[in-house]
Amino acid sequence: MSHLAHTVAVRASGVDMFFGTPENRVVALKQAGFEARRGELIMLVGPSGCGKTTLLSVIAGTLTPQAGAVEVFGQRLDGLGQEALTTFRRKNLGFVFQSFNLIPTLTVAENVMVPLLIQGRPFDEAHERALAIIEKVGLKGREEGRPNALSGGQQQRVAIARALVHEPPLLICDEPTSALDKDTGAQIMQMVRDLSRSPERCVVVVTHDHRIFRFADRIAEMEDGRISRVVDDPKLLDTTHL
Amino acid sequence: MYRLALNMLFGDRAKLAMLLCGLAFSALLMAQQSSVFFGIMSWTYTPMVNIRAQVWVSDPMVEQVNDAKPLRDTDLGRVRSVDGVAWAAPLHTSFVQARMQDGNFKLITLVGIDADTFAGAPAVLSQGRIEDLRLPDTVIVDEWGAALMGRMGVGPDGKPRNTPLQVGDTFEINDIQARIVGICRVKRAFTGGPFVYTTYDRAKGYTLGARRTLSFMLVEPQKGVAPAELCDRIERDTGLKAWTSDTVIWNWGERSLARNTFWWFWTNTGIPFSFGTAVLLGLFVGIAISGQTFYSFVLENLKYFAAIKAMGAGMGVIARMLFVQAFTAGLIGFGLGAGMAQAIGRVMIEKGMPPFVMYPQILWATFALVLGISFVSAVIGIVKVSRVDAASVFRG
Repeated sequence: MSHLAHTVAVRASGVDMFFGTPENRVVALKQAGFEARRGELIMLVGPSGCGKTTLLSVIAGTLTPQAGAVEVFGQRLDGLGQEALTTFRRKNLGFVFQSFNLIPTLTVAENVMVPLLIQGRPFDEAHERALAIIEKVGLKGREEGRPNALSGGQQQRVAIARALVHEPPLLICDEPTSALDKDTGAQIMQMVRDLSRSPERCVVVVTHDHRIFRFADRIAEMEDGRISRVVDDPKLLDTTHL
Repeated sequence: MYRLALNMLFGDRAKLAMLLCGLAFSALLMAQQSSVFFGIMSWTYTPMVNIRAQVWVSDPMVEQVNDAKPLRDTDLGRVRSVDGVAWAAPLHTSFVQARMQDGNFKLITLVGIDADTFAGAPAVLSQGRIEDLRLPDTVIVDEWGAALMGRMGVGPDGKPRNTPLQVGDTFEINDIQARIVGICRVKRAFTGGPFVYTTYDRAKGYTLGARRTLSFMLVEPQKGVAPAELCDRIERDTGLKAWTSDTVIWNWGERSLARNTFWWFWTNTGIPFSFGTAVLLGLFVGIAISGQTFYSFVLENLKYFAAIKAMGAGMGVIARMLFVQAFTAGLIGFGLGAGMAQAIGRVMIEKGMPPFVMYPQILWATFALVLGISFVSAVIGIVKVSRVDAASVFRG
């Protein structure tokens, strides 16, 4: 039992989340439960509107559920105030967004430095670490360029560098390949897998893209606001409705 | 993060240019209009600058230097007898019509000074000698007046001369000849008329029919007697009103006739309202353009601010980033606007129109108002960003 507790990175149970007024309520999560382990890459899949993004937001501490318990690396998030949640995200989370969210007026290096600067690290140290990880994602020489001068795949690499530069234990990826072609998407997922693979890190990926299912250790399928099943082999999933 | 905030600001050159234009225009309008206002207001007490004396004595009902209420000549003796007075000289000031060679009339400020001491005489003569005022029918005209009245002169060929009056030229005041023996350099007056200096006794002749001609008395305190203290003594012993010659209008504690004149024009004319409206317009234009542009800058960057929030930046950090951006733009905008106001001011000073006085206080006030505009702009942006849900970054 204690071994299991040690390996769990994210655990959510009995999570309810709804939006709107009591008269006009939209239920996003209904007694949802979810578990992700340290060292694994888990994908959350399901049709549009099933609650994937809401669950991801709850795990990331950007949404507070109306009911249920959420624990990330031993820290209970439900009941934490906004300030504590902000501090938690700053230390423990890395984000890769669907539309990259790279600031176009900053250079590639400056974009990558953002999480470190938010943590209060000195500019020079942040710059040095940013250059190191930019080299790792294969963009050496593009540090001082603007993100808009890069291809979609290259921009997503910058986003991955930004997500990992402060070495967070939990990496949250929201549709990381939806804006990319098949080959580039595969390269990006390979990179996420290679760079983030660590016994102490967990990667949660929300995706519609069944072409990247093969990169997952496990896949959690969602339906109507709850996890309907979790599989180890993507072949076991019926992808026709995704 | 502040360095990145600045890079975000400077990276969007179009928005930055718009923002700076708004702030610079606002600063320009506020600084330039205020400086012209204070320039015009400084003209209201020009006689205090041109006629130099430590203490002025007037009728008790006098409120400002352009509105003299004539005294009796015997008052001069009463003032001279006050303890602490080194000397006291009569001064006549009035507005009279001068008839030019072409037959036109021009309103002038006639200044009659004591022929013995020349107390109140202009400090700088560009032509002639002050002593020549003791000659019959003589006057000294200021440079600007000489140029103005010269255009009304007639040459030997009977055509307009279009050159400034010179020593030796003549015109008439109340049908009495006035022969120019000197050209002086003095500050121009609010009334727009040239300064024409003559002796006190001759001024009596030029103002035919005036029962009393003693407008003011110019007084010099004895050594060791402060002007303000002497004013108290004169008022106590004679019942007349005594003023210091201080022309620093910010000097609230002084019994300055210049300051009283300034505030008389402030409360009794529409000048402050007119210029105040222009300054307010500058402020509102600044808030409108800068606020709107900064808001649009924030809107454009909203999803990035949301992403930064999701990554763990608190609202405090983001608010400080926005303040850094707004105040930096404010600082540059103020520099540009104030610089342009200075440049325009230089041209104005060279041309002499309109008057332009840029006190350091004007710059400080403009700076504070521009920072106020920046503050309002930043707060508008902060309110917008604070309402953005960090979870919105996951909604595409």
